[in-house]
This record gives sequence, structure tokens and C-alpha cells, in this order.
Amino acid sequence: MPLSADYIARETATNLWRNRLMTIAAVLTVAVSLALVGAALLLKQGASNAENYWQRGTQVTVWMKASANGSESHAVGSELKQLPYVHACSYHSQLADYHEAKTLLSPGEFQALTVQTTPASYRCTPNQPQYAQAVYNRFNGQPGVLKVSAPFSQIHTMEETITVLQWVFLSVALVLLLSAGVLILNTIRMAIFARRREVSVMKLVGATNWFIRLPFMSEGLVQGLIGSVVAAAVVFGLHALLNSFANPNNPGTVLYQMRLSGWELFGTDFVVVLIGALIGSVGSAIAIRRFLDV
Amino acid sequence: MIRFDNVTKVYKNGTVAVRSVSLDIQKGEFVFLVGPSGSGKTTCIRMLLREELPDRGRIWVAGREIIHMPKWRVPYLRRNVGCVFQDFRLLPNKTVFQNVAFALEVIGRPKSVVETQVPQVLELVGLSKKRDNLPHELSGGEQQRVAVARAFVNRPLILLADEPTGNLDPGTSQGIMRLLDRINRTGTTVVVATHDAALVDWMRRRVVELDQGTIVRDQARGVYGIDATTGSVPRTEVGARRS
Repeated sequence: MPLSADYIARETATNLWRNRLMTIAAVLTVAVSLALVGAALLLKQGASNAENYWQRGTQVTVWMKASANGSESHAVGSELKQLPYVHACSYHSQLADYHEAKTLLSPGEFQALTVQTTPASYRCTPNQPQYAQAVYNRFNGQPGVLKVSAPFSQIHTMEETITVLQWVFLSVALVLLLSAGVLILNTIRMAIFARRREVSVMKLVGATNWFIRLPFMSEGLVQGLIGSVVAAAVVFGLHALLNSFANPNNPGTVLYQMRLSGWELFGTDFVVVLIGALIGSVGSAIAIRRFLDV
Repeated sequence: MIRFDNVTKVYKNGTVAVRSVSLDIQKGEFVFLVGPSGSGKTTCIRMLLREELPDRGRIWVAGREIIHMPKWRVPYLRRNVGCVFQDFRLLPNKTVFQNVAFALEVIGRPKSVVETQVPQVLELVGLSKKRDNLPHELSGGEQQRVAVARAFVNRPLILLADEPTGNLDPGTSQGIMRLLDRINRTGTTVVVATHDAALVDWMRRRVVELDQGTIVRDQARGVYGIDATTGSVPRTEVGARRS
């Protein structure tokens, strides 16, 4: 059956206006539900960013023995550079470490130290904190290596915390998405139930299921899109609000570490709008199914 | 045009709506299905529209066996079968013209056809002047005429009417019957389920009487009850055309 875009557009506009109270209800349901979903996704992304930020600061240090000769030191340095899971390495000479120790140790402790007895070191940043263990396993006990040190217990705690946080936010987003889906489906169903007579007349005069379904799906799509655009705007506002609290002069704060880039915000908003459009159109198609089975 | 072959329909609650009904209706016939409430008239109409499926037997409509018809073909069946109901089933938000045009739009007829055929059929049912009125602005009789116009606008082979005069006064009911008669004269097969005795007696067409789901009488040019002229329940001239 030829189904013109003109017919669908006309029916959609007429029905949206005629059932405007239901339309407003559906749009608000989509907007509120998806704003919550978007906020949860935003927090999940923020937690992920904070994790990356913290991961960037994780260092593993390979201390060379004071007695290590040049070739041993060179071998360790070149091997570290070749490791694919090590992001960057810098060599700290005995003199540099000596000066650093001076700032870290108490005068009493420092007095026992000389440049010759101070170990040189390689300070490396692994791609992921868990690779610190791999660096440890690789270099501990190698010729010329005094010891390999990294904040293993802190890394472990941080990883666990971030993983839990991410799962919490993802679960909240999924639960909210599910409840949003049910709420939206119910609203659409109520709207269609109010028009079941119209559907039965359509069936009676020989309309195919697609002929009946498409204007409803188009209505759902429009409702979903309007609602999700409102939700995306709310997410945008929330992001701006959080960013206004994140002080760049104090990068240690969680809010600063969680801040999202413009693209990440765009991605979250895109997902929100996509979900809204899908829930609206597919939800309508599902909701109308039982009324078509005549 | 319509054939029931040993059709039985039992509802889930155990009620036998139709029991071993066999019936032939020829092209161009005008047939009354009569009988008390619960006799199975509406079930027969619903089965002809494939709104209900029988438990046993087979049904042919316009040369097609409809029981085993795939679901996707049912809309195409319904385009050949116009239908009128007691409660009119008009779309309240559409004007008279739009209600009738809807039946053509639904089957994808172009605008030019809609604009030609709808005024013609509105002329036929005498509602040309009310084409822009909404259903609630019309009387019951006028609403039923809109329903008839909608059922007939795409020139179906068959027109089914389930208690079409159930909500109308006797004078208006006669007007609707005249309209159905005019449609029948164009060659459309008309089947009317009714328990309006006066109309059936007035029209003198083929009468099929159902009682508790069984055909108890099939009479050409019959009346609602037992034929007063014979005092019997004749079963003659089945399928005869009105002369």
C-alpha cells in the first residue's frame, strides 16, 4: 500500500495536537526519565575520567644499586623504553636523587647519605596502574637493580573504588533506563488505548498494520525526540553547573578530575537523544501491537 | 459470493455461538440474518470479516477461503467487504467528508479519486450539504448514512450490516433500508443482521433465521417470523434473486 510521507506528517501533527495532554505527559516522562539516565551516564563518564587522571599519576621506580656499572644501568633503561605498557620513563642520576633526598629526608637521616651511596633511579609511568606489578616482576633482582617500588596497595584500593563507582553509576543508569522505558511505554499505551476505537475503525476499512502503525510510531518518535532534547538540555546544564564548581587552580579536587570534555558531553547527549527517539518509536510500535491483532 | 460450509464456533466460555451452519449467498443477493439476541447473527458477521475464526468448517468470501488466509491478507479481504454497525463507528474528530475519504485513503487511493468518489457517495446517501459537519452534529440516521457511505465508497463486493437500525426510529430505519436497497441494486451483495421485524416484513427479501446458532429457516422473500401466508417455516427458493 502506498503510504505517503504527507499522510504520516499530517496524521502525526493532527494527532499530537488533538491529544496534546497525553503528548505533554509523554514528553515530560521522557524528559525526566532520560535526564536522570543522562546524569547517571555523565557521572559514570566522570568517574572514568577521574580514574584516568589518577592513573596518569601512578609511578613505578626502578632503583639502581649505587655500585651498578654503566652497562647495567643502560640495559635497564633501554629495556624499560621498549616495554609497550610503559608510557614514559625518566632517568634520575645519583646526583639528582641525592638532591631530592635532601628535600625529603630529615637532616639526621640525610647526613648519612653521600652522592656515591645514593641510588640512581628510573621513574616510569605505566599505561595502566596494574602494569606496575609487571614492571616489578621484570626488573626486581636483575643485575644492577636495587629494588622496584610502586604504591601497590594504593593502586589496588583505587582500582577497586573506581570499579565499584563505575558499576554503581552504570547500574543506576540501567535501572533508570528500564524504569524510563516502562514509564514511557505505559504513557504511550494509555495514549493509544484512548484511541483504540480509531484503530478498530482503521482495521475495519482494510488498513494494513503498517498503515496504522507508522503514524503512531512517528508520533512516538516526535514525543521521544522532544522529551530527550529537553533531557539533553538538562544534562548540559548539569555539566555546566558541575564545571563551574571545578576549580582549575585546585586540580586535586574530585570535581576537577571528573570534568568532561565537550565531546564527552556531546556523546552523552547524543546517547540520550538516541534512546529517546528509539523508546518513542519502538515503544509506540510495541504498545500498539495488541490493538492490531484483530 | 459468501459460503459457510458446516461452520461451528464455540467461545472460550463454552457458549456455542454457531453450530454446523451451511449457507450460500449468491452475488447481488440481499439477505436478512434474523433471530433473537444470542442466536449467532453477529458471530456470523464477525467471521465474515475474519474478526473471529470458526472452530470447525470453512468460509468463502468473494471466492476466497478466509479461514486459512494469512493475517497479512486480511486487510485486503476487508477492502472487498464494507461494514456498517449499530454504533456507526465514525471517527469523532473527522468531518463527514473526511470519515468517508478515510476508507479510500487507507487503501492508498490517490487524492483525485478521493475527491471524485466521496462527493458521489455523499450524494447517494443524501449528505452532500453536511460534508463539513462533525459526527456529533448529525442525527443518528445521518450518522448511519455516513457509515453506509464509508462502507460503500470503494465499491465493495459485499456490504455487511450488523443491526444497522438498532439505534434509529422506524422512519429513519426505513430510510437506511432504502439506501441499502439502492446499493444492492448496483450489484453489491448485502447481508443485514437484524431483529427489526417490521423492516424485514416490509422489505420482503431472503430471510435466514438463526436460533441458538443453528439455521432454522432459509426463506426467499420471507418475513421475520413464520410466514403468515403459509403458516409454516418454508425452506424454499434458497439463493433466489429478487425479481
